[in-house]
Amino acid sequence: MFKMILKNLLIYILFLPLTGCLLLTFISSNNKKLLKLVALNFSCLTFICTLFLWVFFNKSTGIFQFVIKIFWLPNLNLNFILGVDGISLFFVVLTSLLIPLCFLISWNSIERNLKEYLISFLIMEFFLIGVFCILDLLLFYIFFESVLIPMFLIIGVWGSRERKIRAAYFFFIYTLLGSVLMLLSILYIYSEIGTTDYEVLLTFSFSKLEQNILWLTFFFSFASKVPMIPVHLWLPEAHVEAPTAGSVILAGVLLKLGTYGFIRFLLPLFPEACFYFSPFVYSLSALGIVYTSFTAIRQTDFKRIIAYTSIAHMNLVMLGIFSFNTIGIEGAILQSLSHGFVASSLFLIIGIVYDRHHTRIVKYYGGLVHVMPLYSFIFLFFTMANIGLPGTSSFIGEFLILVGSFKTNTSITFLGATGMVIGGCYSLWLFNRIIYGNLKTQYFNEFIDINKREFLTFFPLIIGTIFMGLLPNIFLAPIHFSVNFLIELMVF
Amino acid sequence: MILQIKEISIFSEIFLSISIIFLTLHGVFLSYNKFNKFLLLQNSILSLAVLILVMSSFLIFNEHLFILDYLSFNYSISNDYLSFLTKILIGVITIFFLLIIEQYLLDQKINHFEYILIILYSVLGLFLLCSANDLITAYLAIELQSLSFYLLAAFKKNSTFSIEAGLKYFILGAFSSGLFLFGASIVYGVVGSINFDDFKDLFFWLSPGNKFEFLQTNLLQFGLTFILISLFFKLALVPFHLWAPDVYEKSPTSSSFFFAVVPKIAIFVLLLRICYYSFFGFIDCWRYYIIIISFLSVLVGSFAGLEQRKLKSLMAYSSISHMGYLLISFSTGSIEGIQMLFNYIIIYMISGFCIWGIFILTRLKNNYSKKGNKDLGDLTLLKKSNKILAFVFSLTLFSVAGLPPMVGFFVKFGVFLSAIEASMYFVALFNILFSVISTFYYIRIIKILYFEKILVGKLYYPIKTEKFIIIFLFFYLFIFLFINPTFLYLISYKVSLLFF
Repeated sequence: MFKMILKNLLIYILFLPLTGCLLLTFISSNNKKLLKLVALNFSCLTFICTLFLWVFFNKSTGIFQFVIKIFWLPNLNLNFILGVDGISLFFVVLTSLLIPLCFLISWNSIERNLKEYLISFLIMEFFLIGVFCILDLLLFYIFFESVLIPMFLIIGVWGSRERKIRAAYFFFIYTLLGSVLMLLSILYIYSEIGTTDYEVLLTFSFSKLEQNILWLTFFFSFASKVPMIPVHLWLPEAHVEAPTAGSVILAGVLLKLGTYGFIRFLLPLFPEACFYFSPFVYSLSALGIVYTSFTAIRQTDFKRIIAYTSIAHMNLVMLGIFSFNTIGIEGAILQSLSHGFVASSLFLIIGIVYDRHHTRIVKYYGGLVHVMPLYSFIFLFFTMANIGLPGTSSFIGEFLILVGSFKTNTSITFLGATGMVIGGCYSLWLFNRIIYGNLKTQYFNEFIDINKREFLTFFPLIIGTIFMGLLPNIFLAPIHFSVNFLIELMVF
Repeated sequence: MILQIKEISIFSEIFLSISIIFLTLHGVFLSYNKFNKFLLLQNSILSLAVLILVMSSFLIFNEHLFILDYLSFNYSISNDYLSFLTKILIGVITIFFLLIIEQYLLDQKINHFEYILIILYSVLGLFLLCSANDLITAYLAIELQSLSFYLLAAFKKNSTFSIEAGLKYFILGAFSSGLFLFGASIVYGVVGSINFDDFKDLFFWLSPGNKFEFLQTNLLQFGLTFILISLFFKLALVPFHLWAPDVYEKSPTSSSFFFAVVPKIAIFVLLLRICYYSFFGFIDCWRYYIIIISFLSVLVGSFAGLEQRKLKSLMAYSSISHMGYLLISFSTGSIEGIQMLFNYIIIYMISGFCIWGIFILTRLKNNYSKKGNKDLGDLTLLKKSNKILAFVFSLTLFSVAGLPPMVGFFVKFGVFLSAIEASMYFVALFNILFSVISTFYYIRIIKILYFEKILVGKLYYPIKTEKFIIIFLFFYLFIFLFINPTFLYLISYKVSLLFF
């Protein structure tokens, strides 16, 4: 009995959020407490199921596990194939961890249209887990694009000020423009091979010219999600205008869609084109890290600084991916995960202060250590994690990436490391301005420290960061064989 | 002894025409005299018209029981799977169309019962067009349908807008029918026959050594071009599209609904019979300008739609761009092309029905200005008045824009798949980039429905339940077709097999 549940675990994980949606539609909009409880319960249940996925994962092999095949259109070779391997396992766990935290943080701050808010988040969870689990190229594309619709609605309806509409448009059209080119390549691949099943595609090899062109189209799509310079403009807008929970999901999971796409599809399917274009990617990533780090120093809006750090960290992940060795790719995956923890918590931190004072401008804050000591501790912890203090998870990620890319190209490593040093500059500046100094009583008079609900929101993230920083092998062991398999596919 | 009546092949059309005559007599005798106090008959004639259409569709659905041969009337009427499918589609959609516009007719005081009869006449014309197998039958059917359309566009006699729409449509439509006749006469002059089957026997496989090669003259291509241009006029393709936004905007909304949704498939049937059935050997001739016209249509439909403030012109430009996508798969010349064409046009009809149905059903409640047509701003915050309608509308718009996971993505993907399988890479590349541009004005409508920060939206009259159920039925069909599109694939595949 237990074995049968275990075999179909991915179906349960995928469809639990949808069941939550269905239940939510039957509850009246006035009963806000029940709505929030039902949503929170279903998302926590999904998280527990993904923990089962982690526990029963077989760490000694690189093949896909928990595979489920549902026949959709067998005559066209389009089937619904779900499966996890080492690379996607932790992204699934991260997604299902972050959604309950989003619900917790928006417990008191969303007043109008609460039901639609919760339903959008649950539908987005379904699509996100689907993106990471699906092993079929066309369905991956469908789920990849479908994430846009709930995110567009969340940014546009529950965002904070008028600029949100511009932000929603930017987000939507930047990402869509990149991905329609990917649709064309998927159609080409389908017409050449006759199927879009991932495991079949791995056995196929394209000619050099085909690889170059297909690589470019896939690159445009994933590059605007990562985001890389120069298609990064949607990120500061979308992050600033979205509500707190929207920013958490955007930073925590949606940016990882791009890097996951790179690791899963671009490296194994088009290896020669990856080698061919790697100087291009190196220069864009290095440019991204240095430029966005410098830009972040000059910002006045709290959320915008964190948004620019997200871009910098994601471009560092790109450096790690294109280093083409085990250490680099493992560092990239680990840095993605750690960025998922750290950046989400930084957005949660800003959300707490925004709930109380409704402004994000750094000038108005000062000396919060005197009145919010617990909050200052958590802020200090995550600022240090953002910089890359040894002992926190992002140090491990950055270190592995820099070691891996040092093997391939030393000057790019130098530029990337420079960017990380500048990262220390703006993080410490931000922390100093807000937390230390004197209280700016000409702007605010009343201060409340974080309550139990908000502290418990941070608790799993703090635990995750510490464990990943001190015992990274817990996270590295499952992905080891999958990354080895990937590199074998590329190089041999 | 088997009784063979030659006229049984157009039995449903005969039934339809006799019942229209009966309805006319009924209406005239009942309402145009002082004794009955000039009774207003629209509702009863509407219900009777729905009944008649249901019965004709039933007859068409069972035509395989009494129609024995595919060609009749000296090979000018064909009753194959293509005509069967398109007649059913047109009949069913017109039935639901008539059910939905009831309240609109009462509102706009279209008190003449002849409106319904003209719609029935145009349906008769469309039925004949679907089964036409030679040029003169096709011309007669196009004329019957177009004449009814001109009357439908100009029906509101006290509004200059409506009269202007009717006049524009009439002049341009008559001009294009003239072009059709000109092309048809040149083709007749070269070949000596007007029958599509004869064309197929002569021209289907044009190759060196074909003994009819002497007929492959430039004059024939010239005549064929005129026929195709006249059909592109009817479909409102660039550069023959300039009448469409004006006519759609200015006619009564129910007429625009009918123009936008129903006749396109019949004209595509005629285009398919001409290009794929009879003149397939000339594919290298007509293929290239169809590609250019499709590219221009998508370009104009995407860019010009960005500037529109009125809803009906916006839908006109969006239908121009959809016709562009249809022509992409039409120009491939392969089985997949025709299959994806049918997929796309069926989904286009269903989603067009949902969108135009919502336009017709939402009536603004304001006493200070009695303007007839809706702007973009008139849909403000529909989510507050009618949450479910806003939800249905936004999902249909996402599907029309071609975004996953809706079925509109699936059919657009099918169109581009057929283009890439025919190695038309640049065509697919540019058209898919323009489709992103047209996405913008669809999500702008969704923005207006959901995002505006004003406190009170516009007020609407409540919608009757049975009209709402109709829209919801089509919407459910949508969702079902995404989960299981096999049905759609099978019928379009069966149609496309007819041509090869």
